[in-house]
Amino acid sequence: MQRKNGATAYRLPLPDFPPGREFDWAEVVLPKGFPDSATARIFLPPGVILKIPHVEEGGALCIDGDPGPSANCSPENRILHLIDHFYERFLNPWLRGDLDGEFAKESLNYWALFVDRMSSARRPIVSVATVDGCPRIACVREATLLSPKQLIVVADLNDSLTRRLGRSISGEGLQFTRAIVADIPIRESLTPQTWPRNYQALLALLQARLDAGDFQRFTTRISRRGRPLYRLALFRNEWFGYAYLMPDWPATRLGKRVKGNVAFERKKMLPLPVRRWDPAWTVGRDQISAVESRQKSHVVIFGIGALGSFVADHLAKAGVGKITLVDPEILESENIGRHFLGAHWVRRNKVEGVAATLNQSYPTTQAEPVSKRAQDWLQYNTFAEADLVLDLTGDRDVRWAIDRARQDCACALLIGWLEPFVAAAHACLLPAGSNWYNSAPDSLERLQATEWPKEVTQQVPGCSSRFQSYTASAAAYAVALVSEQALRLLDGKVNKSCVVSWVRGQQYFDEQWPGLVIRDWAKLGSELDGATSTRTYP
Amino acid sequence: MTSNYAERVKQADKLRSGELIKSLRNNAGGVDRHDYITWARALAEVNEHITVPEEKIGEAAKAYMELGRELRCQLAWPDNAITVQPQGSVNTRTLIRAPDASKFDIDAVCQVDISRVQANDPLAFFTTIGDALRVILGKENPPEPGKRCWRILFPEKPFYIEFAPSVPLENVRLETRQVLNPRFYATQRYAKTALAVVDRPTKWWKTSNPQGFADWVNEIAKNRLIGGHLIKANVLARTDGVEPVPDQDVELSDTLRIAIRLFKRHRDMCARRQYIDGQYRPISIVIVTLLSSCYQGLADIGRVYSHPLELLLDLAELMPNMVVQDENGYRIDNPTVAGENFAERWNDLDGGSERTKAFKKWCAQLQGDLRAILGETDDVKILEKTRDVFGCSHSTGTPGSGVKLTRKPPPVVVPSNGLA
Repeated sequence: MQRKNGATAYRLPLPDFPPGREFDWAEVVLPKGFPDSATARIFLPPGVILKIPHVEEGGALCIDGDPGPSANCSPENRILHLIDHFYERFLNPWLRGDLDGEFAKESLNYWALFVDRMSSARRPIVSVATVDGCPRIACVREATLLSPKQLIVVADLNDSLTRRLGRSISGEGLQFTRAIVADIPIRESLTPQTWPRNYQALLALLQARLDAGDFQRFTTRISRRGRPLYRLALFRNEWFGYAYLMPDWPATRLGKRVKGNVAFERKKMLPLPVRRWDPAWTVGRDQISAVESRQKSHVVIFGIGALGSFVADHLAKAGVGKITLVDPEILESENIGRHFLGAHWVRRNKVEGVAATLNQSYPTTQAEPVSKRAQDWLQYNTFAEADLVLDLTGDRDVRWAIDRARQDCACALLIGWLEPFVAAAHACLLPAGSNWYNSAPDSLERLQATEWPKEVTQQVPGCSSRFQSYTASAAAYAVALVSEQALRLLDGKVNKSCVVSWVRGQQYFDEQWPGLVIRDWAKLGSELDGATSTRTYP
Repeated sequence: MTSNYAERVKQADKLRSGELIKSLRNNAGGVDRHDYITWARALAEVNEHITVPEEKIGEAAKAYMELGRELRCQLAWPDNAITVQPQGSVNTRTLIRAPDASKFDIDAVCQVDISRVQANDPLAFFTTIGDALRVILGKENPPEPGKRCWRILFPEKPFYIEFAPSVPLENVRLETRQVLNPRFYATQRYAKTALAVVDRPTKWWKTSNPQGFADWVNEIAKNRLIGGHLIKANVLARTDGVEPVPDQDVELSDTLRIAIRLFKRHRDMCARRQYIDGQYRPISIVIVTLLSSCYQGLADIGRVYSHPLELLLDLAELMPNMVVQDENGYRIDNPTVAGENFAERWNDLDGGSERTKAFKKWCAQLQGDLRAILGETDDVKILEKTRDVFGCSHSTGTPGSGVKLTRKPPPVVVPSNGLA
């Protein structure tokens, strides 16, 4: 059969079906572009979506089959593979009942299909966000509707993460409205066979899981002030979440105040997608156990330049709860080639730009800008509440001031810097109680891979500033090194002072500045493109 | 059988509503009340659907027998030192399919004659069995240790086996038994089949009596509470020290076993539908013990039913009230092991009340669902409702049905994707 979109379809022979397993037809569809640029697929009647597993929107069967144009296979054999897979991996197992448990394996995909089918452009709520772990027993709790994003956050307005999430995704003009949630823990996924298919079933399930008082409270549709309430039924565990907006929600304005732009009260329940926004998930999909302790930690970063700006971003991504950014400088046009910030922040404070960007991007982090010199900040502040200090200024006076300020505080320090051309980069890790300055003078020069001539650093024309040329991609090695070591220090994995260094090979040094003599410790990477080493300190 | 079952049933009778029987008789209406044919047929269909097919049980039986033989060889113990036999729902013929067609389990116990083998240290004994299983099964499929058994998965098969190392207590000398000093002791009636199994949490022996428990259930099931019906007989034979798996087919009139199957399935569906928290769902041994106690109690007071359906509904209403509650909390006594309380965890500070609530909610849901089934009078709707309640919306094809291609495609190597 030829289709209007240029595809060709062929019906497949089907056997007699046991009762309850039938479908009317199945066809192989060769789309336009097959075999050179498209893959063949099997389609079933759209009426079996959510009744038979592995059937996507439109009736497409989601099984491996046609290996595709990149596989070294003739078109005829590709079709044969597809048909073989249809019978051997789908139809025959379906007839035997072996696919009956398949809905559970991708239950969220099916839930997304169900949500799409039930939604409309005039739906008052678009999705649900959870910001904490699921409760141990079913309960009714406060929630917050964020407008105009039409997002319900399962936490009350006083929760800091709720506010930061709202700030991140909504920006200006954010409004908060009270809602309530029946928050019910589940052990197994819900599937099209088991999720409530109508309001009566949903009510019966809520009545079964909530105690009598909570059920009564939840089914009361009016707040104490006599206003209708948004009510959400949420079923979740750490992997799956399914939510229903209960019927009779308040009249809701959608977008700008224009005639007809209101979702009026509806009598049907509305299934909604649920997304986790808790730190354990957004930072590491539950795979990084350190997130919980990082959320409670405070890191102070001095120097928000080409190194510090990216390191701050990495620490925020890694789940550090509070980051103080200290730097007095403003961004110039010549900085944007290797700074975290772009053109729209030129002539503005670097710390304000980075803090604003981090706060916008990561609800799990609170970034505070301090547009001051390090010494000025230290005049009125201490490290008493800091867990880790990063000195990424490269400035010996800052090193001195920080080292003195640390003497009364039990916080760790990392001093990070680049060598010219990022031919090497270093992170000196100093756990609480150990200092940069010992009996020896400042150690920075002696720790480097080589002694650089003064000509390597250039003067900015018409200005007293000096700069050294390196690219952002070269600096990325240093960013990775410093970020990784900072997290190790923060997570308590470093017991002794040390210097961790990244150093390029001999060829790289020769290309940047011929004739340099590499120090012995740095020769480990001579024959390589680069290497990392750890040395004790001092 | 003790008469306290009779007393408990009488007490339970006073507490129940009797609504289910009333619904049945009201809705049977003009239908001959001794037939209730459509409701009975619907439940029979469910029973057939949840039955694990014979060939799958046979497959599991072969694997389990083979494992027993290999274990004897691997351990190099005398032939009559160890006996491997099934236990659990296989022995009571109440094994059911999981709603999601996941694997079913066969419980097997590996009994070791302690006079022939050193078994003073329970954990070392447990490990010895595990090490032998590890060699037999290979690195690809190592056994997983449970609290009292080794769980063995068969990746390409629809079942797994739980293998419990144990020592038959009857064969053990009194002095040695005192050394073993297991937690609890067998009741006198079932002493011959009592075992000491390794209890890893307490690092000591615990008395268990799976064969005794199965005998208890099977004896109770023989009671005739239905007037004029016969129960199919089954005979078990011991061969080669490894007992074959009993025949799983039961007729609708074998009401105790039917009730056990249907109610376990209903519990599973309630957990899947989240009506009860799956973590706290009533365990199968609780359901089996309560139903069997109830059934025996009904027999003891001479109750006779004209139809299995009426008996089934009575079991549903009486079962919740068969739980004993006294000053120590909730009790469901193991009839074959003195002092063991199957409801022990209902009295825990952590999660105990949740378990009790889950049991009560499940019982209420069961009665509500049965009432809903009885509330339908149209034949088609009765079938649909029953299938829906027990999660049996689709029947399955016979083995070998389907479509087979006469021409197979040649193998193809598909290039892999990179990580990005």
